[in-house]
Amino acid sequence: MEKRLIKIKCFAGLRKFFGSETTVLVEQDSNYAKVIEALQLLNPEVTEILSSCRIAVNEDFVQLSETIKQEDILFLIPPSSGG
Amino acid sequence: MKHLQNANISYSEIFDEFRHPSSGAVVLFSGEVRNNNKGREVTHLEYEAYEPMANKMIEEILVEAKSRFKLNQAECVHRLGKVEISGCAVVVVTGAGHRKEAYDANRYIIDKVKNEVPIWKHEFFADGTSEWGQNCDCVTDEHEHSHHQEKAE
Repeated sequence: MEKRLIKIKCFAGLRKFFGSETTVLVEQDSNYAKVIEALQLLNPEVTEILSSCRIAVNEDFVQLSETIKQEDILFLIPPSSGG
Repeated sequence: MKHLQNANISYSEIFDEFRHPSSGAVVLFSGEVRNNNKGREVTHLEYEAYEPMANKMIEEILVEAKSRFKLNQAECVHRLGKVEISGCAVVVVTGAGHRKEAYDANRYIIDKVKNEVPIWKHEFFADGTSEWGQNCDCVTDEHEHSHHQEKAE
């Protein structure tokens, strides 16, 4: 199946592992969870952290079970620690 | 951005302007930087955010809280960048007819901002190390414990 390149913006502690931006290749009809899995393969050291991350698109959170739409940039959101 | 700023937060200025003829109670919460955390000496914090989303989410939390608690006014401003000890990291001000709504709403807003908004704290310690923080001080019953902590180099 054809694959597509997805850009991912990273924040906070995740930048140490992936930089501010990284890319993964996923199959065309993948859901967002596949992006997390691809990142885990890229760096198994962060598997646990990634499992507590959410993904945002256009400034809204998406469900990991949803199929990735046409967007090319995802935002990887680790657990909040403001305040 | 309206709810995020790199400059010091002047909460006295926000408070002074927080007057409403229908408000009998105004509550101000200031989250300030402690010089210690879990037994370690903290020198300062740095905050980072996914700024457009964080600003939007804080606005949405305020709009929802105003409706839920019948507030006349609500404001929240969070710092970004370096904040020294005793500096204000976040301020929440709520104004309502009576104190119960003002207190309850204030607590509701700060808990939501801390737990949900994409803002991250980087703690710097006196021993030269630093860690990306987590908000696991368990102040809310419904708080989900899905945190991580990473040592920075």
